Amino acid sequence: MADSKTNPVRASRMQSVVLTFLLMSGGAAAAVQPITALPLQVDAEHRWHLPAGEYRGSFSVDQPMQIVCEPGAVFQAQGQGNGVIVSAPDVRIEGCTFLDWGHDLTAMNAAVFLQPKARGAVIKNNRMQGQGFGIWVDGTQDASLIDNRIQGDPTLRSQDRGNGIHLYAVHGARVIGNQVRDTRDGIYIDTSNGNLLQDNTLEDLRYGVHYMFANDNRLIGNTTRRTRTGYALMQSRQLTVIGNRSEQDQNYGILMNYITYSTLRDNFVTDVRDGSTGDSMISGAEGKALFIYNSLFNRIEHNHFEHSAVGIHLTAGSEDNRIADNAFVGNQRQVKYVATRLQEWSVDGRGNYWSDYLGWDRNNDGLGDIPYEPNDNVDRLLWLYPQVRLLMNSPGIELLRWVQRAFPVMKSPGVLDSHPLMKSSPQPLAKEPVA
Amino acid sequence: MKCDKMLTVPNVQAIHGLRLQKVPYTKYVFANAEFIIPHPNDGHTFDLQDKNSFTMFNAIDAEKMEMAFQVIVDGNLDNSDADYTGKYAASTCYNSEKAFDLGGMMRNERDWVVVFNIPRIEAAIKAGKFIHLDGSKVPVVDGRKTDGKDSEFTRYIPVPKNPHGLNTSSDGKYFIANGKLSPTVSMIAIDRLDDLFADKFKDPREVIIAEPELGLGPLHTTFDGRGNAYTTLFIDSQVVKWNMEEAIRAYKGEKVNYIKQKLDVHYQPGHNHASLTETSEADGKWLVVLCKFSKDRFLPTGPLHPENDQLIDISGDEMKLVHDGPAFAEPHDCIMARRDQIKTKKIWDRNDPFFAETVAIAAKDGIKLETDNKVIRDGRKVRVYMTSMAPAYGLSEFTVKQGDEVTVTITNIDQIEDVTHGFVMTNHGASMEISPQQTSSITFTADKPGLHWYYCSWFCHALHMEMVGRMKVEPA
Repeated sequence: MADSKTNPVRASRMQSVVLTFLLMSGGAAAAVQPITALPLQVDAEHRWHLPAGEYRGSFSVDQPMQIVCEPGAVFQAQGQGNGVIVSAPDVRIEGCTFLDWGHDLTAMNAAVFLQPKARGAVIKNNRMQGQGFGIWVDGTQDASLIDNRIQGDPTLRSQDRGNGIHLYAVHGARVIGNQVRDTRDGIYIDTSNGNLLQDNTLEDLRYGVHYMFANDNRLIGNTTRRTRTGYALMQSRQLTVIGNRSEQDQNYGILMNYITYSTLRDNFVTDVRDGSTGDSMISGAEGKALFIYNSLFNRIEHNHFEHSAVGIHLTAGSEDNRIADNAFVGNQRQVKYVATRLQEWSVDGRGNYWSDYLGWDRNNDGLGDIPYEPNDNVDRLLWLYPQVRLLMNSPGIELLRWVQRAFPVMKSPGVLDSHPLMKSSPQPLAKEPVA
Repeated sequence: MKCDKMLTVPNVQAIHGLRLQKVPYTKYVFANAEFIIPHPNDGHTFDLQDKNSFTMFNAIDAEKMEMAFQVIVDGNLDNSDADYTGKYAASTCYNSEKAFDLGGMMRNERDWVVVFNIPRIEAAIKAGKFIHLDGSKVPVVDGRKTDGKDSEFTRYIPVPKNPHGLNTSSDGKYFIANGKLSPTVSMIAIDRLDDLFADKFKDPREVIIAEPELGLGPLHTTFDGRGNAYTTLFIDSQVVKWNMEEAIRAYKGEKVNYIKQKLDVHYQPGHNHASLTETSEADGKWLVVLCKFSKDRFLPTGPLHPENDQLIDISGDEMKLVHDGPAFAEPHDCIMARRDQIKTKKIWDRNDPFFAETVAIAAKDGIKLETDNKVIRDGRKVRVYMTSMAPAYGLSEFTVKQGDEVTVTITNIDQIEDVTHGFVMTNHGASMEISPQQTSSITFTADKPGLHWYYCSWFCHALHMEMVGRMKVEPA
């Protein structure tokens, strides 16, 4: 984005926020009150302490200040408007509880709404429970959102809830160690470059991380559980996606749509479930650990994809990706590849680990002696009838493989791993589920 | 097909959504203008936030192909459709922010669907309650909100941000706004719109009867007449089949699996249409999905790839892909009707207005186009009239002076369907088509002395190569 001083969109954004304020004050709800109306007590380090108690209504912070809530200090917005609106730089809000702020998504009601002027805000270790957005960051630069616990309202329809953390047109944000559950999306990030999302735990959501038009970001060590897509990464360049986990998500563990020049490393995806909305299985909605669509020039290394209907679904000409040292374990279909050109999935003589690889390693160098071809008809047979594995050196299987090699017309063009690994590399330990 | 008439829609830029009024008949063509511009657009300001910066919804008289009226709106306009009562049309808006760049257009959590009350607009115009804009005679009414209050002509229904397609279900019950940046579509109950315009709802979203989550990037929806809808999912690269009544039950809290099937398509699906779905007689037989990408499918033809129009059989419980069709890119929408419903002319009618102007000029020159082969000299202007009948032109030569402006008018007197001829004057930038019973003309300057062949450029006959003539240009 351009410099805020010269960007009229910024100006319009301000207008609409002011309008929201007027609507709130004109309605039945109490007017937005300055935070200084509260019984704040200053300490020697010039931090303002808010004593225990329930503070009703919406509050604004329009000057640089540090606010520390004592245990039991609660912002109770009574179902209207935002909890706190911050419009000044260098504001810190720590240890507070926000309850029952507004649910008007059109007005973008949030527990904490950071306006563009709130540069360098620190929102740390707060607890939020309500129906609208948790933290809405509106073009604010260098905000830090750390160790907050955000709880949505599961009795609302998913699409009527706000997102846990909503980042719009931000830069330099640090979103670390937050726990989000039962909101709509966990972290929504749009038109925002140069941010860090780290060690967040995102559970029981629509999308864990919902990502659009946002370049040069780092996504590190996050965990998603039971979402309807763990990491939806779309239309972005230069992402660093390292050490994230996806457990029991639906549809996709990690979805890469039009992602380029990015690194995916050390990620662990397990038990992706199919995307049904009820009891019956939907054809075409099977769970995919990694979906790579129209994505090129990426490094996808040392990830672990397991126990899903599809390990990788690679389509729409996703070529020139470096795919090596990954482990594909116990997926019903390890690779779904839709294209007409052959792809080699090994780099410098090292490929990936495939739990259904049937080759052998006679020279004991850790690499299989014959290539692995996941689109092989024998692999399909082995998935359909696992007991056939007992017959792997039988004349029948040998004949099938020989027929495939001798008459390549039987095989669709696909993925070839010329140097499959005999063992998967060690993976990071799972984190404890959040209580 | 040939163009009958073109119309410039005044004081707007970029007509995007275009749909016909369905009831009582095709009285109007509804046309969204997409971009917000200052009014008057004379350079006095370039500020999109200015109160006189807006765009308009346009209604064109379908018979006369003339402007009927324009409606000023808040935000911008994307796609559009009309209902089956004749009362309402609706359009999506993705730029409620009135922003000028991609980032700015995506800020608001919700944009909207704007609904137009056609009878109220017609009544206001009949009563003379309209204005004119910037030198245009078209009646204009203002459908913007004033101080947060709705105009009598429009209602704005908030829907998840940046919606795209707007489709009327073939049973006439719903306007469906496709979420694009939201994985949902919003179903607007058309039978609640009277109450919406009567201000009976506290929240305009009370007209939304369901908002099913379908998948990533829903763009357009079509229908099979059996209660199912088919939506393209751009990001998932799929078509999803879902049941509308079950989606409504799910919205009310019932646990019901409204999604029936997801089918991979190839790739980047945009518009889709089921057979007869722009009418109330959707027959649920075929679905065509227009995919933007075809890389890795057809034989390579260089950097510009064909689109992939995929035909899907929807007559059974499951969608079945039956055909991939490469198509030249843009435009990227279509309509599907039964072949017996399309009755075109086999050959031209001699009275067709398409070439009436040329017929009138010939009459002034005393020419009978169907029989005469003559050259008329009018100062430096030379009008060459000839017939054509396979495999010969009526004139095998004509003579002009260097610098003459030459108009060649040819009438194809063949009455046999499909015997089309061409006419090319070598090295004069002149080339045209003449179909059976058509009159065509072309004008060029004979600026090079010497002999110049003309020839039929449309493979027409066994003796097509011999269908030629000579223009002799005498030096000035």
